[in-house]
Amino acid sequence: MMAKRLPGTSRPLRLSRPPAVALVCLGLFLLCCAFVPRFATFGNIENVLRVASILCVVACGQAVVILLGGIEFSFGASAALASVVTVMALPVLGPVGGLATGGASVIAIGAVNGFLVGRLALPPVIVTLGTLMMASGAAAWLVGGLPIDAPPSAAFSWPARGRVLGVPVPILAALLACAALHLMLAHGRIGRLWYHVGANPVAARLAGLDVTRITTLGYAVAGAFCAVGAIILTSRVASGQPALAPNLPFETIAACAIGGLPLSGGRGRVSQVVFGVLTVAMLNNAVVLINLPVAWQLVLLGLAVLAAVGLQKDWAVLARLARRTDR
Amino acid sequence: MSASDDAPSDDTRDDLALVATGIAKVYGATCALRSARLALRRGRVHALLGENGAGKSTLVKILVGAVTPDAGHIALAGAPVAFGSVTQAIRAGIVPIYQHLSLFPELSIHENLSAFALAAGGGLWTGRRLVDPARARGWLKEVGLDVDLAAPLGSLSLGERQLVEVARALSLDCRVLVLDEPTAALNADEADRLFAVVRRLCASGTAALFISHRFDEIEALADEVTVLRDGRTVIDAAPIGRHSREELTHAMLGAGVEAAPARLSERAAPVLVGRGLAAGRHGRGSLDVIVHAGEIVGLAGLIGSGALSLAATLGGAQAGPGELSVGDASFMPGDRRRAAALGIAYVPADRHAEGLFGALSARRNASVSGLGRLARLGWLRARAEAQMVDPLLRRLKLHPALPEAEAATFSGGNQQKLLIARGLAVPGLKAMVLLEPTRGVDVAARGVIHDAIREAAASGVAVLVATSDLDELMVLAHRYLVVREGTLAAELPRSAPRAALLAALSGSAAA
Ligand SMILES: Nc1ncnc2c1ncn2[C@@H]1O[C@H](COP(=O)(O)OP(=O)(O)OP(=O)(O)O)[C@@H](O)[C@H]1O
Ligand SMILES: [Mg+2]
Repeated sequence: MMAKRLPGTSRPLRLSRPPAVALVCLGLFLLCCAFVPRFATFGNIENVLRVASILCVVACGQAVVILLGGIEFSFGASAALASVVTVMALPVLGPVGGLATGGASVIAIGAVNGFLVGRLALPPVIVTLGTLMMASGAAAWLVGGLPIDAPPSAAFSWPARGRVLGVPVPILAALLACAALHLMLAHGRIGRLWYHVGANPVAARLAGLDVTRITTLGYAVAGAFCAVGAIILTSRVASGQPALAPNLPFETIAACAIGGLPLSGGRGRVSQVVFGVLTVAMLNNAVVLINLPVAWQLVLLGLAVLAAVGLQKDWAVLARLARRTDR
Repeated sequence: MSASDDAPSDDTRDDLALVATGIAKVYGATCALRSARLALRRGRVHALLGENGAGKSTLVKILVGAVTPDAGHIALAGAPVAFGSVTQAIRAGIVPIYQHLSLFPELSIHENLSAFALAAGGGLWTGRRLVDPARARGWLKEVGLDVDLAAPLGSLSLGERQLVEVARALSLDCRVLVLDEPTAALNADEADRLFAVVRRLCASGTAALFISHRFDEIEALADEVTVLRDGRTVIDAAPIGRHSREELTHAMLGAGVEAAPARLSERAAPVLVGRGLAAGRHGRGSLDVIVHAGEIVGLAGLIGSGALSLAATLGGAQAGPGELSVGDASFMPGDRRRAAALGIAYVPADRHAEGLFGALSARRNASVSGLGRLARLGWLRARAEAQMVDPLLRRLKLHPALPEAEAATFSGGNQQKLLIARGLAVPGLKAMVLLEPTRGVDVAARGVIHDAIREAAASGVAVLVATSDLDELMVLAHRYLVVREGTLAAELPRSAPRAALLAALSGSAAA
């Protein structure tokens, strides 16, 4: 008989199986080591991780929104606005206050998105495109179009260049972001609610869940992740730039898609996001090292996303491979 | 039926439309099909029976090319076939009619009817995108639909849409029509209409495969029956009438179902009270419904009468006029969140659209309404969750008994059990509002679900069941409320005979 006993209360501890994207990521890593000059050096790997870490923090936010069945386009613009707000607030509030204000503005934009999507039930694509344009426009207007520099200070550059116990702060931030997201998704009530709303919002409402609040909170939390990324970015460029990270939403969406999160929502784990981010960061790095024009980064990224989504659609092959290692 | 009634085990008979032998399919740890055999004859309606999870839908998906089998052979009119996709199968003349409708509600009926022609290619770049209206009208006439070709499909009822789907099958040279629980969402009239169409199609030589859990329907429609048990064919193409219902049930389950002695629980104080409610969009808020503790009220009504809508309102799922209360606490119609918090369970009629979280595990599907109780400082206690719902899943005989498997991988009837478990797991359960609680569920599981409902009532829960299945109503309800044209037309006691109930439903004679 196939019928198995219900595991009941005693569950054996077991590690969950690595996502299919881990194989892709590992393959790409080996390829880069073998064929890309100067890839496998300590300095370069640290550089990849540093770039990946900012992407990773923001991708954690993107993952929350995608889990909810939505999509966030406003991240890049709100990060740019944050950098401008930070630099303008610096003279008044000092470096810490300035960065905090910048971060808060990102969270605010996230919450607005959440309200519009959750309460007014507007489509996420339109809402976040709208806030993208508004944030972008506001940032350009505030600085009059040209970047403004921040006066150098140790506290201001700590988020991007500082180290704690030898570990660069951005990498530490990425680790903390992943841990936080993992706790929320795997053990937290709020994460579970996101899965439910993403998997079937109608059923979620009828099961008695407060879909509006859950969605709003999700976008705000996503904004908080993006805020951390925005602070690190601002600190790194040490200026207020209205065109700070225009590709951020695309790169984070790409990381999630490559990681295997279906854009229809309701599914996904942190490990998928991490491997997706690493894949994107390695691709970008390889383009630079091979001396291809930087514009190729986007072309390759686009190809990778199409390949990943194509595979997902027909990913029975990969799933079967993974299952074979399971039992 | 005449001389041809004798068992057709010979695969070379020339009236065989489709023969599938030795079909096997494994999903991970679950064996959906071990060795299934199915032989469909031209001009015959063939019923496929089996308990929930026996593998019926899997076999159908294999026949229509949606799933590739691990082993086995399929022959269409004697020639071996292996379909890589549903499109290939459709082109070969095997046409599935889906319960979850594969039509496009925003497009016109005409466009929907042309979908196959478009998919067959060529149509996109030539001027003639749509099929000839005269032909399209002919197909609609054949299925007994009198509708405007230009009307959007969404303006039709579910039953009519299903008929459009059958009409679309006529645009092809349909050799095998496949119907997997087509009647689950239909009322008796609509089902009769569908049956008439199927019979007419078969008279012109089409073979039909028909899956249902209702013996009445099977006896009314089918000529032959195949029974699957645990992925194997245990009765192969027997003429209807050769085996009694008991024998078929025994073949399906490997055991009989003893009719549970239905003990009536005591009716006590009013629990779920609705005042000034409306049934359906056009109802005037004037209906009062009271369900007492320990009581099971059966809400009956034909489709379109507003019965389901009234039930949804009472469950807090649908907004409208009036006001509702459980115990001392009141809530507004449509405030499902508050209703759930007050201990009202709600099982929606449309399992896929309104109930199931397909991407989440069975356990999570069952526990969702009780998450508040499982969380401590925002942290979910996994053990408490398992303790809360696993006994329910075990009691409802979830098969396979894998609470961590994704809900989407369970068979239709087992998905329904998840929704029932969710309702029973609502913390502080005071009332249950159940719409079509055993839709798509096999005889044995139906008994189990009925027992669970009765037991809940016996423990003081107020239960309201709205169902189009009169038999279900009659075994469960303590009294019947009959909804007709948006009004409460009659209230009948449990002792009311079936005929009185039918009369009240249709409003023909005074009950
Ligand atoms: N995609 C899948 N992944 C894993 N298991 C599956 C999948 N699809 C079906 N199964 C399993 O295969 C078995 C047969 O399922 P199937 O849907 O064919 O049952 P059924 O006879 O149609 O039942 P029902 O009467 O409830 O509709 C079930 O145990 C089910 O859990
Ligand atoms: Mg089925």
